[in-house]
Amino acid sequence: MPNNGRFFVGLIGVGLVVSYLVWTGVSDTMIYYLTPTEMMAKVSEDPSFHQIGLKVSGRVVKGSYTQSEDFEHHFEVMDLDDEAVRFPVVFRDVLPDTFTDEVEVVLEGRYRDDGVFEAATVLTKCGSRYEAAPEEMVG
Amino acid sequence: MITLGEIALWLALPISAWGMVLAFAGGRTQRGDLVLSAERSVYASFGLLVVASLGVVAAFVQDRFDYWYVASYSNRELELFFKISGLWAGQRGSLLFWALLLAFFSALAVFQNRNKNREFMPYVTGTLQGIILFFVVVLLFAEVNPFEKLGFTPANGQGLNPQLQNYWMTIHPPTLYLGFTAFSIPFAFGIAALMSGRLDSRWIQLTRKWILVSWFFLTNGIIFGMRWAYEELGWGGYWFWDPVENASLLPWLTATAFLHSIMIQENRGMLKVWNMALLILTFLLTVFATFLTRSGLIESVHSFAENTTIAFIFLMCIVSTGLLGAVLIVWRLPELRSENKIHSFLSREAAFLFNNLILLAAAFAVTWGTLFPLLTEGLMGEKIAVGPPFFNRVNIPIGLILLALMGIGPVIAWRKASRKNLVKNFAMPTAVGLGTLVGLYLAGIHHRLALITFATSAFVMAIIVTEFWKGTKARARIEGEGFMKAFVHLVARNRRRWGGYIVHVGTVVVFTAFAGSAFNREVRQIMEPGETVEIQSALGHTYTLRYVGISSSTSPTRNMSQWTALMMVDKEGEDLGGFTTEKRWYPVVEMLVTEVGIRSFFLEDLYIILDSVEDLQGMAANEASSQRATFKVKVNPLVGWIWYGGLIITLGALISMWPSRGRMPRVPKAAAVSEGTAEPATA
Repeated sequence: MPNNGRFFVGLIGVGLVVSYLVWTGVSDTMIYYLTPTEMMAKVSEDPSFHQIGLKVSGRVVKGSYTQSEDFEHHFEVMDLDDEAVRFPVVFRDVLPDTFTDEVEVVLEGRYRDDGVFEAATVLTKCGSRYEAAPEEMVG
Repeated sequence: MITLGEIALWLALPISAWGMVLAFAGGRTQRGDLVLSAERSVYASFGLLVVASLGVVAAFVQDRFDYWYVASYSNRELELFFKISGLWAGQRGSLLFWALLLAFFSALAVFQNRNKNREFMPYVTGTLQGIILFFVVVLLFAEVNPFEKLGFTPANGQGLNPQLQNYWMTIHPPTLYLGFTAFSIPFAFGIAALMSGRLDSRWIQLTRKWILVSWFFLTNGIIFGMRWAYEELGWGGYWFWDPVENASLLPWLTATAFLHSIMIQENRGMLKVWNMALLILTFLLTVFATFLTRSGLIESVHSFAENTTIAFIFLMCIVSTGLLGAVLIVWRLPELRSENKIHSFLSREAAFLFNNLILLAAAFAVTWGTLFPLLTEGLMGEKIAVGPPFFNRVNIPIGLILLALMGIGPVIAWRKASRKNLVKNFAMPTAVGLGTLVGLYLAGIHHRLALITFATSAFVMAIIVTEFWKGTKARARIEGEGFMKAFVHLVARNRRRWGGYIVHVGTVVVFTAFAGSAFNREVRQIMEPGETVEIQSALGHTYTLRYVGISSSTSPTRNMSQWTALMMVDKEGEDLGGFTTEKRWYPVVEMLVTEVGIRSFFLEDLYIILDSVEDLQGMAANEASSQRATFKVKVNPLVGWIWYGGLIITLGALISMWPSRGRMPRVPKAAAVSEGTAEPATA
């Protein structure tokens, strides 16, 4: 493409703008995506991790789900590879339909000082939909 | 039938391999008999894949749970309709279905060109058979054979996830797949152009309809998916920047870019390399999306390891096709030189080019955000994610620029726009846009991005309406026709152009709808029967919902129990009647599903979700029990406009695609040379 200098100027211009958008977008919205074990290690190393938003994936502990009087959802989540690493979660919004015992979940929220994870969103990963324990889940 | 299907799938392997080799050999050696044989093998592949697919369907209909695939996605109780659509319910069937659709389109393309465009056909046939071969190899050797047996026969299958038992979800994947596979045809023609050396815009003219068909299905597939998410997933949204959604968006973005940039090549003989690259990229993205949709790749590189064979084959294919394409382009570089250059930034070429860059930038940003956790995990050992805020931050500005270009591109002059051209075309629309901005601001809308979106939409609409107005008026005057008649004839005479404008109108409507989400309102409230909840719409009025109570019932035929909560709605004293939201329990798959209640109005949707009920079990047992429950109520402005916009896009795309029979061909036929078969394949 001879003599298409302007074309390349345009290309570089768009490239720069998009890079800027992507860069600021990433630095303003990125959050750690951890396993429960990694999360525990982070907070014990640096307690300020209690203050920031995290994304954590794990498995809902069987039978841990309860619902409080004021319809808060409480349950425990454990590490996929290490059942001993677990923590309680509180959530105040609509749970996804695929949420059941032992389902893999991705939580987004804050791991508070008191050791309770306050979730702003709860997503379930599909795939475990045949292992539900309905009596404990419903209601 | 099932065994027959399995045999057919195995037979497709040598047939497609044979066809591919023969076609390329025939193309190089100029032997018509080889090419003819290869073309016939395409029909054979199609026939075999039909039989194979029927085999899978038969296994579903006959409840053959000794097959892994049937046992995993069906059970005795499943409705016949969903048994048949089981063909594309899971990864294994989907891959077969993909191959089937591709073979169908291939057979169609071969049939259409049986007597013409012979210089392309050997390579087109070879390429298409190559893709079919690839999918057959994957099906047979990558541990995803739909005919794989379990080794024992379970009493019943595991059933289909109730969330997938929805009309939109049934037509969403096939629609997307139609879009994906239809794009293989232009890809094959592009490769054929590179291999045969016939690099003028002929291959583009030949495949323009195919590109439109592909784009049409892709767009509808994505919109159907949004509709499904909105109705079934129960969180009141339609797009979540989920990796799977992103995977379907990527080829749409590049296909849209391609659709526009080929016009520059046709009109100005520019961007030849760029178009080839876009073509190959889009094709690879369709394959990537197919692969990604049902694999665990995105979640983590660890789960990626679970089915390495298929990931490996797919990635190898994508990388090698990409490299091969690059080599072909480099090889033909001297012949792909631009016939013109850009004279000015204020020209249609520049606007189209800019549109292309922006679309690709969006594709890049989406890819980046989707793969970000994988990248950080691979490079730094720590997974860092970006979520919807990232995608929105990056894509909203990009989307707004695109929106504006949609108005500018079609009316700005080619080569270099004069001041006169600019003033004539843009003065009034700019005024309309600014007027909308001020008007809405004064009306109390202060959300910055939404205001910009609404104003830009008004600007674009003003341009398009003016174009239609001018065209119709001119025609009415020249032909002496009535206004309506002139309008219809105007569109009919240049379907491509006016159909495209109608697609733009639909897109503007959809963008406006997206901006509406800035004004979503929601309330979550615990309620006893008899209590009310109020929610104020962004339009100012208030809905009052009174919770009447929950009734429970069991439907043995559909194999589920359901709890239906009734709400009476009142809008500022106007009684809007009742509407319901449900919890359903499917014992076979042991799954609880929420059915949301949606009341759609022209300007907004009232959306209710039954969050949880205090004593669902007690009610099921018909005991006097607490009906205290928690509800989420949402008012989502302009959501309906997405579906209306989608319909307008569909209409416009159909007009553009409609075959023009018996009319004067707009493109002077360069086909005279290509009618014979004996034309040398290489220039």
